Amino acid sequence: MSRHDADSARSSGLDPTARHIAIREDEANRLRALIRAGAGRAGAPRAGWAETAGLLGAAAPSRAAADWQARLATSEELNARLQASEAFTARLLAASRDRIQVLSLDGTVLWVSEGGHAAHETGPDDRVLGGSWLATWASPGDRTAAEVALAAARAGRTGRFRAPSPTARGTPGWWDVVVTPIQGTDGAPERLLAVARDVTEAQRAEEQQSLLMQEMAHRVKNTLALVQAVATQTLRNAGSIEEAAEAFGGRLLALSQAHDILIQGSWTAADLRDVVDGAVRPHAGVPDRFRIAGPALSLGPRAALTLALMLHELGTNAAKYGALSSPHGHVAVSWGTVPAGDGPGPGFRFRWEEVGGPPVAPPTRSGFGSRLIERSLVHSFGGRVSLRFPPGGAVLDLEAPLAAVQETTA
Amino acid sequence: MISEPDRAPSETRDPACDEPPVVLLVEDDGLLLMEASDTLAEAGFTVLEAPHADRALQVLESRPDIEILMTDVDMPLGSMNGFALARLVSRRWPRIPVLVVSGMGSPGPHDMPPGARFIPKPYAPSALVLTLHAAVRRAA
Repeated sequence: MSRHDADSARSSGLDPTARHIAIREDEANRLRALIRAGAGRAGAPRAGWAETAGLLGAAAPSRAAADWQARLATSEELNARLQASEAFTARLLAASRDRIQVLSLDGTVLWVSEGGHAAHETGPDDRVLGGSWLATWASPGDRTAAEVALAAARAGRTGRFRAPSPTARGTPGWWDVVVTPIQGTDGAPERLLAVARDVTEAQRAEEQQSLLMQEMAHRVKNTLALVQAVATQTLRNAGSIEEAAEAFGGRLLALSQAHDILIQGSWTAADLRDVVDGAVRPHAGVPDRFRIAGPALSLGPRAALTLALMLHELGTNAAKYGALSSPHGHVAVSWGTVPAGDGPGPGFRFRWEEVGGPPVAPPTRSGFGSRLIERSLVHSFGGRVSLRFPPGGAVLDLEAPLAAVQETTA
Repeated sequence: MISEPDRAPSETRDPACDEPPVVLLVEDDGLLLMEASDTLAEAGFTVLEAPHADRALQVLESRPDIEILMTDVDMPLGSMNGFALARLVSRRWPRIPVLVVSGMGSPGPHDMPPGARFIPKPYAPSALVLTLHAAVRRAA
């Protein structure tokens, strides 16, 4: 019966038995057509196919034919899905910037992802496959870490470490490496998967952070040592605890203001005008108290802190005994640079001159301020300093090598 | 700056003598130097001062009575830092004990000469005095 005949039988109102037979014959015919088509593509039909055809020719059950048809369709679909999956996996691996490698259990490189070649800058002439994965890690410590990771993966666990390794072209790099087992059908590790992620930028950022922390710790320690010295010197020179507390508080504020200015300059430079303005601010309530003149000039951290303390001492003294103790007095602050003379480079000059105050006399004892000026300034900057007390008001003249006051090391 | 330039030098220290031990203090921060100098002078030391390593070497050449060196590390005005100065002094004047002070962390494995001591900043003045006295006694 042809397919057309079977269809006709189904639609013709045959009894159930006749219709069932017609359906079976229809399915057998469709399967025969498929077999013929398959044989046509592959040349002579294979024995299995022939036997099947024979069976079918001998009125094999139509259920078997349906099974064959279903299997064929499933197989083709599965094959298509497999091909799509493989293509997707290939695109996935190519898209990854990680260096993905399959290793044998002894660490021999068996396969490298396409993205892995790019990450490690390997070219077609570089021998990668068959080489030792451990050789990637140059330093003994890193190689030990790699061996430990391999051993962990061989034992069915995950091994992980971070280590530097240059690419094949010598570009420095840091890698975060994870080694895991690829299990065989028996559940035991059959091969190993090593995935190395480029963490060079993160590593550099961490190193930079660590350096900054060390530098900050160094500066904090130095600042604490400076505060300790100021405190001890204040106590040495004070007549009472109350006097010491007031003096120490003022000096600490002067240092704090200088720190604020230094932080604006990333702790490498402070604008001298800002240092002067900050130091005289507590005494600048009356207009025209300070006549400040000087070119734009940056100071190094140490010079900024020392000058801030020095100006604080001069201002405090002027407010108590000098020009700032009189409503008509004022202070002229000026500075500039001078060309190189006998010294190795240009010089720095600074002057504090009190005018219009009550007649002054030299102090009877050497306090913190005058010692700071006479010893500390000269010692720190290798220059000359003169603090005089003519009747018209105190005058300080400082000369130092410009390079010394601009030294950026704290 | 040398705080006691007129003191008569002596080649070696006689432990029985009452002369104060001579310390060379190398520190580029004038305020810290002023405070350390006061502390050591009050503790009975004769203090010589230098703002950097090059000046310290000049003082060492001219003052054979120096019994101990105390140096900071970061001193940009000189040609070498305090570690290099400490190593140089240990080689050229092995009888002079060396104390290094710094606000930086612990020194590296090859920074310090053998036998030198390190004290981090800030330090307790009493600890500084005790350390220097002990070093002078051991070297005598």
